[in-house]
Amino acid sequence: MAGTVIGEGLTIEGDISGDEEIVIHGKLRGRLTTTDAVTVGGTAVVGADISGASLSVAGQVIGDVTASERVDIQAGGKLVGDIKAARFTIADGASFKGNVDMEV
Amino acid sequence: MPRPPHELSVIGSGTRITGRVSGSGALRIEGAVKGDINVNGDTELAEGASVEGNLSGESLEIAGNLLGDARASGAIAVRSSAKVRGELRCAEVSIEAGARVSVRLENEFELDFGTAQKRR
Amino acid sequence: MTERSVIGVGTVVSGHVRGQGSLEILGRVEGDVSVTGNVVIGPEGRVRGNVNGAELRISGQVQGDLRGTLAVLLESGARVAGDISGPRVGIAPGALARGHVQTDGEPALAAARVPAPAARAFSPPAARVAPAPAPVALPAPAKAPLPPPKPAPPKPELRKPEPARAAPAAPQAEFSPVRPIKPEPRRPPPPVVPVLGKGTKAKKKKSHE
Repeated sequence: MAGTVIGEGLTIEGDISGDEEIVIHGKLRGRLTTTDAVTVGGTAVVGADISGASLSVAGQVIGDVTASERVDIQAGGKLVGDIKAARFTIADGASFKGNVDMEV
Repeated sequence: MPRPPHELSVIGSGTRITGRVSGSGALRIEGAVKGDINVNGDTELAEGASVEGNLSGESLEIAGNLLGDARASGAIAVRSSAKVRGELRCAEVSIEAGARVSVRLENEFELDFGTAQKRR
Repeated sequence: MTERSVIGVGTVVSGHVRGQGSLEILGRVEGDVSVTGNVVIGPEGRVRGNVNGAELRISGQVQGDLRGTLAVLLESGARVAGDISGPRVGIAPGALARGHVQTDGEPALAAARVPAPAARAFSPPAARVAPAPAPVALPAPAKAPLPPPKPAPPKPELRKPEPARAAPAAPQAEFSPVRPIKPEPRRPPPPVVPVLGKGTKAKKKKSHE
């Protein structure tokens, strides 16, 4: 159960920060920081740097992403920006452009 | 027309937003928002939550802290746990006794005093 | 023993109404109402003036300010154009109100409210509703749950156990003569901004602060 859910019809322009899970189906332009998991749904359009425990991208993210655990770009997902995470996957059919830093 | 599958938004109790929130769909705020909120759905400001900015929705249920103006095309309900300061503009307002408010109510209605009757 | 007065549904009072005891207004009053007890304005009650009392319960119409030392409750069907203030204010769905609404104190901190509450975070910067208009003969403990030593005890069970204020110093004579109210020590000075709704009908002021 996500703590925060940004529905498909919602747009946020600004910074989101928290300590719980965040799921985005709508639009975000700004920054997103949490200590928990981040899920970017298929309909989401995110123009923001994202920082969380983990990140799953099924929609569109333009920004740098940092995860303490892992980043996964799903089929149909798109990420333009740098990844900094211990583990990552880019699924077949996903789109990615940027650098990857797998901190040791 | 089918509703989009993800129509209800929730800003969790551990989440803070600084910026503007807008769009469609229902919204439940359990965290803290600093900025204006303007959605064309039913909006609920839960107890313990806070909004510093203007709050606009189809209907508003306010059980938390609001510092700013509230506007609804429908009803605004201020619960007893609420703390509100600002202007309330809506078709109908209710305030539960116990709420802490310093609000201006803007409302178009006429008083109906009729004619003085003196009948014994 | 409760002293209760009633203004019948067909009665019109032109002039101020004041005194001890509680009052039920079923008819019309063109003037201010100030009693120490509770005020009930029935569905057909009409008051064009300010209303001051302990608990105000309104289902009729008022053009004027409402001040309840215990509570102001608007029931469905009520229409009020004026400012409303009291420690507890309730507006039921179906009531119509226009003006400034102020609850003057946070329940948890009630005991500390004896001095002027102006320092409270939620105080509006300017338009603080005047607690009562000039011609009022209320006894001193306007907010205390302690009833005046003699008649018409307002509801003693309050959410706020107010510390014992100075014993009601006002004379307990019934319907004491009109005299200007002495501002209570803990009340802020009258507002700088004239309150909305007094004598104006359906007029909205854009700037209230």
